[in-house]
Amino acid sequence: MTDRRLPGGQPGGLTCDAVRDIAASFVLDALPEAEMAAVREHLATCPEPHPEIAELASVVPVLHAAVRPAEPPAALKDRIMAAAAADLEARDRESDVEDMLARPETAGAARTAPGARPISSAAGRQPRWSWALGIAAVLAIVLLGGWNLSLRSQLDDAQAYQRAVAAVLDTARQPGALTAVMAAPSGEGPTGFAAVSQDGQMRIAMRQLAPTTGDEVYEAWMIEGTDAPVALGGFRVGADGAGYLEATGVPPQGGLVLALTREPRAGMTAPSSDPVSVGTATPPASA
Amino acid sequence: MSESRGPLPLRVATVADDADRAALERIARGELGALDDLYERYKTMAYSIAYRITNDASLAEDVVQEAFLGAWRNAARYIEGRGSVKTWLLSIVHHRAIDAVRRRRATVELPEREEAPPPAFRLPDVWSEVSATLDADEVRAALAALTDVQREAIELAYFGGLTQVEIADKTGAPLGTVKSRMRLGLLAMRKVLSP
Repeated sequence: MTDRRLPGGQPGGLTCDAVRDIAASFVLDALPEAEMAAVREHLATCPEPHPEIAELASVVPVLHAAVRPAEPPAALKDRIMAAAAADLEARDRESDVEDMLARPETAGAARTAPGARPISSAAGRQPRWSWALGIAAVLAIVLLGGWNLSLRSQLDDAQAYQRAVAAVLDTARQPGALTAVMAAPSGEGPTGFAAVSQDGQMRIAMRQLAPTTGDEVYEAWMIEGTDAPVALGGFRVGADGAGYLEATGVPPQGGLVLALTREPRAGMTAPSSDPVSVGTATPPASA
Repeated sequence: MSESRGPLPLRVATVADDADRAALERIARGELGALDDLYERYKTMAYSIAYRITNDASLAEDVVQEAFLGAWRNAARYIEGRGSVKTWLLSIVHHRAIDAVRRRRATVELPEREEAPPPAFRLPDVWSEVSATLDADEVRAALAALTDVQREAIELAYFGGLTQVEIADKTGAPLGTVKSRMRLGLLAMRKVLSP
């Protein structure tokens, strides 16, 4: 939770009367996202009770009941379960990341030459992790057998994040590499990992990203101190919600801020929206 | 000003609520079978709401997928005091669907169109899961309590994805009037449902 307060000290920058005034709009999602967030912050931090919110929200289930029922396609369940299974494997991989960050002496093993490459080929050059990926794939297939996974490609998509994380790990294992845990400013939203090597190569793996449409891209930015954000490159995201980017020329400095924004098109020279995920590059922990 | 009536729940916790919470606890432990259970329980309601808002089958599927995966990933952070798991899950569906249509609206130049009056809330056949907490007569009575302008404002907000300012622009009513219509409409429905 951020600590955004106006000079007057109002939680979320809103007075209690202002919150009461827009309470109905809040429970109906009829406010711009920034105002929704301000109300949420107010409710989370205001010492005064706001019973009007719960009172108005209590009738929302009636609106749900007034919708004509429509059945989702059976394949949707396959997609969701495949993504969840892949997510479960990714959590294990993240635990491995934490273990690795805590044991920097293992860095440097099985290095391969850096360079721009797609996720699939990057993952294929990870000897240290190839066995784990193989087991993960077998486990996922076994787990998903009961759900009649009709399209193998869906599983491949769902594993994109795992492959991306494996590529980031490759950079993170290099001596002196910095790592950043990416998280949504609101605490709920896209997460991921990034690593910056001493030779300035950055890799970032993200998940839980909303799919891009049209010309939209996710743009990565680096921010040094109070300098303006510098664009690192962009990528598009499909239904799997996973994203991966490599960039060079990133200074391996502790405290460097990495941010991700959703932009209407590629090539933006400045962010046009608030970041969806942010992380700070930190040096490896001393053994 | 706050209302004199407190935020009393419309219904006490049900057996379904307990089952949902148990499923969420299992989800928080990483049990895929529990996600399967929760999906089977609420897939129709979730998809129906998403489709009602987006009017796009593909987009509705994406919304439902994001919502269930959001529940899968954030189950451990779910705060029981917020309300029922169903309400929490469907609020995620609604919020993501609204977000999707707003993004679509921002990127797609919609042609001028003959605006039909917003459809009145339709009462479907009684849903089995709805009947556990609200019966069809109650839903019908609650919706009947709305005036036409209240129904229009709530419809445009909750299913149309319009903000209160956009509703004011669309209907030509002052912003304060729009806010009052939504608030008084919700309170009118609550009055019908309150014991």
